[in-house]
Formats: sequence, C-alpha cells, structure tokens
Amino acid sequence: MTRRVSRLGALARFFWDALVSFGTLPRAGRRVARRVLLNQVWFTAVQAVPLVIVLSGLLSFLVISQAVRELGRLNATELLGTLMVVATVRELGPLLTALAVAGRSGTAIAAELATNKVMGEVDALEGMGIDPLHYLVLPRLGAAVVSVFCLIVLFDAIAIVAGLIAAAANGMSPDRYFDIVLRSLAFGDASVSIAKAIVFGAIIGTLPSFHGLRVRRAATDVPIAASRSVVGSIVAIFLCSALFVAVL
Amino acid sequence: MTSPLEFIDVALPNARGTVCDLTVPPHQVVAVSGPEDSGVGGLGRVALGLEPPRRGRVLVLGEDIAALPRAAALAFRRRVGYLPAGDGLLQNLSLYDNVALPLRFGTGLAEREIEGRIRIILTMMHLSDVGPARPAQVNDEQRRRAALARAVAFDPGLVILEQPFDGLTDRVAAELLEVARGGVSAGGSRRTVFITGQNLPHLLRQRVDTRYRVVGQKLVREA
Repeated sequence: MTRRVSRLGALARFFWDALVSFGTLPRAGRRVARRVLLNQVWFTAVQAVPLVIVLSGLLSFLVISQAVRELGRLNATELLGTLMVVATVRELGPLLTALAVAGRSGTAIAAELATNKVMGEVDALEGMGIDPLHYLVLPRLGAAVVSVFCLIVLFDAIAIVAGLIAAAANGMSPDRYFDIVLRSLAFGDASVSIAKAIVFGAIIGTLPSFHGLRVRRAATDVPIAASRSVVGSIVAIFLCSALFVAVL
Repeated sequence: MTSPLEFIDVALPNARGTVCDLTVPPHQVVAVSGPEDSGVGGLGRVALGLEPPRRGRVLVLGEDIAALPRAAALAFRRRVGYLPAGDGLLQNLSLYDNVALPLRFGTGLAEREIEGRIRIILTMMHLSDVGPARPAQVNDEQRRRAALARAVAFDPGLVILEQPFDGLTDRVAAELLEVARGGVSAGGSRRTVFITGQNLPHLLRQRVDTRYRVVGQKLVREA
C-alpha cells in the first residue's frame, strides 16, 4: 500500500515536472520538440483515424438502430437525441477514443521510452545537456492531448453520421433525425468533451512516459513497462470518467 | 590557466575504495584505464554530474556540475562533448539527425548552417554515404564514428570519451582519437580529451599524453 502511494506521488511529481519543464525549454530546443510533437501527432492521431472511424461508426449504428426500433415501439423517438448526445457524444465517445489511443499509442510510448532507457539513450541525452523531459516527454504529452481531442471530435462526427444512416435504415427521415439530435446538443456537452480530451490526453501522455522512463537497464523490463502503462491508463481513464459523471 | 577537468579525492564505485585524484591539463589527452570492476567506466558520468560521486568532487571547466541546479547543469553540459559507453545514439533518428541533435537543441544556428556543418563532419568521419541510415542499419564502427561526430559537432573545448575504442582496430582508434583532439578548436588550440576504458589500444599509447591505471586501491600513473 505504501509503495502504491509512493508510486502515485512519484507519478504526480513526474507530471508536474513535465508541465513545469515547458518553461525551461531552450528557444533552440522548441523547434526540435515541435518536430517530435508533430511526429507523435501523425502516429497517435492520423494513423488512428481508420480505427476510430470503424469503432465510432459501428457503435453508433448499433445503438441508434436498436434505439429507433425500441423507442419507436414506445412512441418515444424524441429521446433518440438525448441517447445520442449523452451516450455517444458525452460518455462513450471520449471513453472509447481514449481507450483506443491508450492501447495503441500508450503502449508504443512506454515501449519506446523504456527502450531508450535500456539502450543508454536517455543518459546520452542528459550527457549532451538535453533534458529527457524536453525531448521525450513534453512532445508526447502535448501530442497525446491534441490527438485525443481531434479523435474525439472525429468520433462524435462519425457517430452522428452513422446514426443518421441507422435511423434512415429504420425508417426515420434525415430531417427528423438531425432535428432531434441537434436539439439535444448543448454547449455543455461540447465543453465536457473538451475537458475529457485534455484529462484523458494527459493520462495517455504521462503514464506511459512515466513507466517507460522508470525501467532499469534490462531489456526484460520493456514489456513490463508497456503492460503497466496500458493497465494504469485504462484504470485511470475509467476512474476519471466516473469522476466526470459524479461531478458534472 | 584553469584545468578543464579535475577529480578531487573522488572515490571510484568499487569494493576496493580506490581514490581518483587527478588533473587533466588543457589541450592534453589523458586516459584512465582499469578492469571492468574498477569503476573507471563511471568516471565520465561522475564528471558530468549524471551520477553523484561517493566521495569527493569533480570540477569541469572550474565548475562542480553535480552541485548546480538541474537547468544550469544541463546548460553547462552543452559545453562538453560526451561519448557514452556503447554509443548512446537515438535509434529512431538517422545518423545525420543524431549528429545534428545537439546543434539543433543547444545552439541558435539556422538549419542551413547546421546542415553545412553536419555535412563537413560526416565527410570527415567517412559517414556521408550512411548519413540517412538508422543506427541499427550500420556496423559498430560506423555507429562509433557517428557517436564521436555528435560529441564534437559543436566543437567543445573538452571531450569525455567512455570506452571509445572497444572493438575497433588500432588504425580506426587512432583516427578517431585524432578527430577527438581536433586540429584546432574554436580557441585556436587542440581540445582536451579525457578517455576511460578497460584497455588502451597499443597504437594509441604514444598519442596519449598521460595514462593512469587502476591498480588495487591506487591510481597509478603509467610511464
């Protein structure tokens, strides 16, 4: 128990150090860090687009198909909008997107940084006067936040379109569908999604980096770091999701 | 003139408690060798403040890096060329980008200037053809050449080399030592080079100004 609390403290400290390190990033280093960030966004966001489209499209199609049929039987199709917004846009969209990114990119970040550590690359960076937080952690943290945000927006957009197809396939007119869904969408839903994107992105950027850089000099530690990071990220994402529901 | 590197009563991380007390004079090549368990391999890390010494302190260019705040220590290390044991090259970057990294991160040079400088260094190190390759795609010698090129890319006055010649032929080792020394540095004189390792190739013994060897508890100056 004490070890877990101490690890949580170390993780919080690591996150804080990463944030604060932005202030000490040398001017020349910003260019390099930006390049690493863009590479990460390419890998984390752009290459994950097909996965998010499939997840979002299938989920929305299944949920809306069932909902149109069941709610139609109860003569309560008005509730379709609420279902779409609450279930997909507010809850499942951010959650599934974050889980997909944690599984896909979080493990990659942890494995990459753990390999950097095992191969002596982190020490070499320090020896050259380059802070690993500047070069390795900060760009990944920033990229994770940006990527999760963009993918959540994409997830929601695809979900609404797939919902339209499902509604049309079950006899509902597109005008009616858009009318119901758009009436249920409020600014608050968008802001919750943005808040979740920032929190989930921060989790996916921090936890894998933390576990990756904590390994000692043994190659056998690399898969352990990857596994710990993905499990930790999933638990943290679910916990934060529950906290959002409780607070907002 | 201040010594570029000074070990003051530094205890080596070995069971025998060997004490390292030596001064590296400016523009000279000094090598310290000893068996694997002697702790000699960690002297470079101790000098750069990457590892705290068990006892004593190290002055680099007159400054105790280990005692500096983190940001200042990082900035100070950018004044010293460092080739870690192994090679420390980043596997996800090409050799070209590895060599360019300290210049891009630590200097305000424009990309075009950096490009020009890197091309010269790669040509000097016979790496022009393999510049775009990743470290895993080239052989040990080319990796070591790239690591040394990275260490001297910004023309530092002091270069610290950890086991730089392991597995290299004497001829290549001699060539790399000459590159590390530099014909002339920015100050118009040769660099100061500090080498640690288990053994120094025979051909290099003539080219090193001062050699030390760990024998038991003592650091013995070799003739």
